[in-house]
Amino acid sequence: MSAISLTTSVGEPSSLSLPAGIASSVWRAGQMAMGGVSVTPSGWPALDKELPNQGWPHRGLTELLIRQTGIGEMRLLQPALQRVAGRIALLQPPHAPQVATWMDWGLAPERLLWIRTQRHADLLWSAEQILRNGSCGALLLWQGALRNEAIRRLQLAAQASDIVCWLLRPLSMADMPSPVSLRLALQAKGQGLQIDVLKRRGPPCATPLLLPWSLLRGDTPFFTDESHHALLDRRLSATPVSSIAAAALV
Amino acid sequence: MRAASAQVLAPELVVQARDVMREKIARDAVALALLQYTPEVCLADADTLLMDVSASLSAFGGRRHLCHRVRGSVQALGFSLQLGMAPAAQAAWLFAHQEGRVRRVIRLERMHHCLNTLPVALLPTAKRYESWLMGIGCSTLAELRRLPRAGLKRRTDPALQDQLDRAYGEASELFEWIQAPETFAAFLEFAYPTEQAEQLLLAAQRLVVQMTGWLVARQRAVSALVLTLEYERRRYRLASTDIEITLAEPAWQEAHLLRLMKERLNHLVLKAPVTVLRLKAKQLAPFAPPTAQLFPEPGGTPADYRRLLELLMARLGPEAIRLPAPVSDHRPEFANQWQISSEAQQKIQADTGARFAERPFWLLEQPLALTLRGHRPFYGSALHLLSGPERIEAGWWDGDLAMRDYFVAQGEEGAYYWIYRERDVNQARWFLHGLFA
Repeated sequence: MSAISLTTSVGEPSSLSLPAGIASSVWRAGQMAMGGVSVTPSGWPALDKELPNQGWPHRGLTELLIRQTGIGEMRLLQPALQRVAGRIALLQPPHAPQVATWMDWGLAPERLLWIRTQRHADLLWSAEQILRNGSCGALLLWQGALRNEAIRRLQLAAQASDIVCWLLRPLSMADMPSPVSLRLALQAKGQGLQIDVLKRRGPPCATPLLLPWSLLRGDTPFFTDESHHALLDRRLSATPVSSIAAAALV
Repeated sequence: MRAASAQVLAPELVVQARDVMREKIARDAVALALLQYTPEVCLADADTLLMDVSASLSAFGGRRHLCHRVRGSVQALGFSLQLGMAPAAQAAWLFAHQEGRVRRVIRLERMHHCLNTLPVALLPTAKRYESWLMGIGCSTLAELRRLPRAGLKRRTDPALQDQLDRAYGEASELFEWIQAPETFAAFLEFAYPTEQAEQLLLAAQRLVVQMTGWLVARQRAVSALVLTLEYERRRYRLASTDIEITLAEPAWQEAHLLRLMKERLNHLVLKAPVTVLRLKAKQLAPFAPPTAQLFPEPGGTPADYRRLLELLMARLGPEAIRLPAPVSDHRPEFANQWQISSEAQQKIQADTGARFAERPFWLLEQPLALTLRGHRPFYGSALHLLSGPERIEAGWWDGDLAMRDYFVAQGEEGAYYWIYRERDVNQARWFLHGLFA
């Protein structure tokens, strides 16, 4: 149970005395929601600081509004997916996920479940069944046009289950009202991925968060700053330097 | 009263002939369904079923829960019932026949106390002597018990005294328990031909409740079952439709079987109104009770997951659910294989060794041809090549030759793309094949 108390006075909000039993269930709009909810850390300390309870919530929906598919939304979720126990269901993703990448990211291929539906009603039904069944650890749902009733229903189903559930929608839906309690907008900006916290249980977030590409791409050899030409020259040399390089030339 | 005089008194009366055969079928159906609560069920007189639940009380969470579930099962079959529970079968019979009150008695003293206030006429053998007993001021069972035994036996039916003793638990009772049949096949005939999926589902539920009872009684689980819809034979002359439901894991739970059936029925297009619904257990497996664990797993049991897959497949079709089955191949579109979940999940055998180059998360199912602007591939904005080429040349053996140079490119806004240039033509042709999400 949660309640909202709006304190209009400038004075100390804590001066309002609450019975000990409900003090933890009361959330003041001026402070970040804390406690009572289990979360999965996002793996990005800067982002964790901006999220209520410092992570992706288990009970409840998280809405990610993305400008365009492939701007780094999966990279953003990767550390969380690694931490989640159990299977990960991808519901109506825009493209086929690549299993090789999945395994490179340290995720077991058995944990991936890809579901494609023909009809809109089937999609919502499947999401609800997955949430109700509870044998998956995370659910990612791609869907643009959703009515508010449908989102509310999903939100209720998500609240009743212990599954981390992300709803990925296009950025154009940012202006629409949504019953989801955590909404983030993702945009690719020249330097990195810009994350705007549109809605959260906490004070409004004034400055957007920028995750630099170097941080997001991180440790992969492909994106390091070494000279690419040097790499090319090495590959073209007559004597294979290493066995790995030879393998890539097949 | 004759039917005609009854009709005069109540004009809206509908008179139906008694069908003893159908009554028997209904009684058998209820008995079969109740076998899921105890193996000891028997038929008693006056449409009463006796169940020995002394061993089931704790298994089903107490008398209140058990009664609730029994009531639910019988109501699912479309019947109403009156329940009575007592340490002696005859007493339970009397409680069940008492109007208005539900008595669930466990202790013997309490049973005696409750029995004492019951009217004499409730005992089936005492009905004939009711006016005589009333005449001597004996209206309750307590008063009946106070009469001298020898005299009562001489003046009335000896069975009356026996019944009284049995009700008070002072004489032992013998029962002939119902045996579950070797095979399960049940049917349900509609009063009127129906075309409604909801009605079919309701009927299917009645059959499934019976099957659950049968499965539990025989210690079996079902792995394939057939639901047959028969149409009106005279008017349509259509062959019946068989819906075969195969389960990945043998099940006996009513709720799960019903959910699967519901999804299948919702997809079905009826050829004609249905008159008869039949359910048959086609393939059986030994009943394996779930292995209990001290601490429940957070992600649910593997059986839960299989049940989810089955349910999704029943509605979405087998092609909708895909599980990874990667293959060792250098061409990404061949390496990224999927299996539909109805197949037995094979061990994933592709090499999981270190990869030299990073692959994008999203793979386009059809590579997208890119236009060139100023000799540079263009996708939303001019693409800037970051690294590459990674040369992939494979497939000469199966006619799907791929000769490509893959590059990682970045758009103006910063998103990363996986693009390739076809190498077999003189003019450079660029394709988008993946998105580094």
